[in-house]
Amino acid sequence: MWKADRVDDKGKMDKKEAAEKALREGRSHFEFRPETRRFLLANAVNIAIGIALVIIAWWVVAEAMIAVRGAFFPTPPETFSALWEALGGAKINGATIYFHTRSSLVRWGLGYALALVIGTIAGMAFGTMGRAYDIGMVPVYIVQMIPGMAWVPIAMLIFGLGESATVFIILMTALPPIVINTAGGIRQAPPIYSRVALMSGKDHFSLFAKVLIPAAALPIIDGMRIGLANGWRVLIAAEMVLGTMVGLGATIEDSRYSLDFVSAFVCIIVICLIGLTIEKLLFSGLEGVVRNRLGLEEEG
Amino acid sequence: MIASLENVSKVFTNPRTGKGLVALNDVSMDVGEGDFLCLIGPSGCGKSTTLNLLAGFELPTSGRVMFKGKEIAGPSPERGVVFQEFSLYPWMTVMQNVAFSVSKGRTKEEREALAMKQLELVGLSDFAHARPNELSGGMKQRVAIARALAMDADLLLMDEPFGSLDEQTRRKMDNEVLRLWEGQGKTVVFVTHSIEEALMLGTRILLMSASPGRIDREWKVDTPWPRDPTSPGMVALKKEISRGLQVCSCASGEPKAAFVEVQGADDRPEMEV
Repeated sequence: MWKADRVDDKGKMDKKEAAEKALREGRSHFEFRPETRRFLLANAVNIAIGIALVIIAWWVVAEAMIAVRGAFFPTPPETFSALWEALGGAKINGATIYFHTRSSLVRWGLGYALALVIGTIAGMAFGTMGRAYDIGMVPVYIVQMIPGMAWVPIAMLIFGLGESATVFIILMTALPPIVINTAGGIRQAPPIYSRVALMSGKDHFSLFAKVLIPAAALPIIDGMRIGLANGWRVLIAAEMVLGTMVGLGATIEDSRYSLDFVSAFVCIIVICLIGLTIEKLLFSGLEGVVRNRLGLEEEG
Repeated sequence: MIASLENVSKVFTNPRTGKGLVALNDVSMDVGEGDFLCLIGPSGCGKSTTLNLLAGFELPTSGRVMFKGKEIAGPSPERGVVFQEFSLYPWMTVMQNVAFSVSKGRTKEEREALAMKQLELVGLSDFAHARPNELSGGMKQRVAIARALAMDADLLLMDEPFGSLDEQTRRKMDNEVLRLWEGQGKTVVFVTHSIEEALMLGTRILLMSASPGRIDREWKVDTPWPRDPTSPGMVALKKEISRGLQVCSCASGEPKAAFVEVQGADDRPEMEV
């Protein structure tokens, strides 16, 4: 890829040189060798500094706690070496980290997929029907106000202990932002977009598929993104109702009794890494594509 | 006669504040086949409301709005609209925007060929695959015109289509509209607040006034195109229309619209989809 760039850029000058030439020749537009690589590098450095700040803060707190309270507190080196061992196959809380992660991902994936389907359909229905919106959004806002932990007794009463209860908790926390943003996005689409479709004799299906959904794409993606984070963050509460101690959230919860705090910290790191990866790889990419399609950003 | 308003009144009400607005009061007018009818008047006089009624985006509170002998019940591809604000879908290319409005029942290739033909007419075939945000304001409105033409509507409704453009571009666009209109023999209703634009384009000029909106006067203009705005006849007509515009109530500083208290009002002023 870099090689191809170099060939394409042959003959292009660097930024300063090209700007000076344009000024000399009185032109208003000019081209220069793109600095993609430098921008990517700068971006990576900034992310690294941000992560370093978190680790330093954690380390300071850990050492302070050990010094002041004389109590145990996992430090970054302890945690990362435990993470390394766990990645090598060492069992924590009775299973490998891969098994815990996979179990959590499956539960979360199921709950989130359900939230996506129900939330998008409900959001589109509320977004287009005024009365349905006025009535339907009331329960949605009420559900949104219920804290993740509060779903634990409700889930247990409905489903008892087990996987269904876990999936239910993830679904209920991921659902409200998806409904709210889908409905809100459709309602906020400029009325002129609908008028153009209606004057062109389009039916309601075309109006939806070709006009309202693209017009509301950014808020819809935002809702999916908040829902994803909600569902992932509620994992600990959700896995409390499992009955078995398998999963990242369950392992963290279990550290209260087993006092294996290092394992809890390892699981916290894995949760953060997976959340960040999905957010950065999936949603940032998706948003970039949509913004580009909507003409909000220049290509390249 | 292709379209008409028969004793049409349009009232907007806001149930929350209990306020009502009479946008049009007992307006009657007719649009003849092949007319280039210009609606002029100060803002708030109901020009755009009249156009929205003809398009079918709004329904009259009383009276009837007719098109080809039938009462208008909603928007229809028989009546193409060029909107005041930019109305292209940013996620579609120029070509897709135009092809979107071509009546259905044909293949995609046919729709695109028809769209291309209209883009050629407005001189934008080179930009068929560009995105709307890559175009200037004038070009965007030209695409909107191409879209309305591609609908092959019998009535073209244009709501201050060039209001947001600079003077020079506006004149150029006026000439293009004229060229397209002469070539296709369509009926046009053109809303503007510029007397000069109305004089350069219209076969009929209707002056509207506000508080509440109504039609004040009408002029027929038989001068062939291209018209010379500095010719004695045109200058005299311009003076006459200017005077007409000045005696209209809202130009003298009175409130822009007539507010009345409405009881038991239940229809909201907001547009439905």
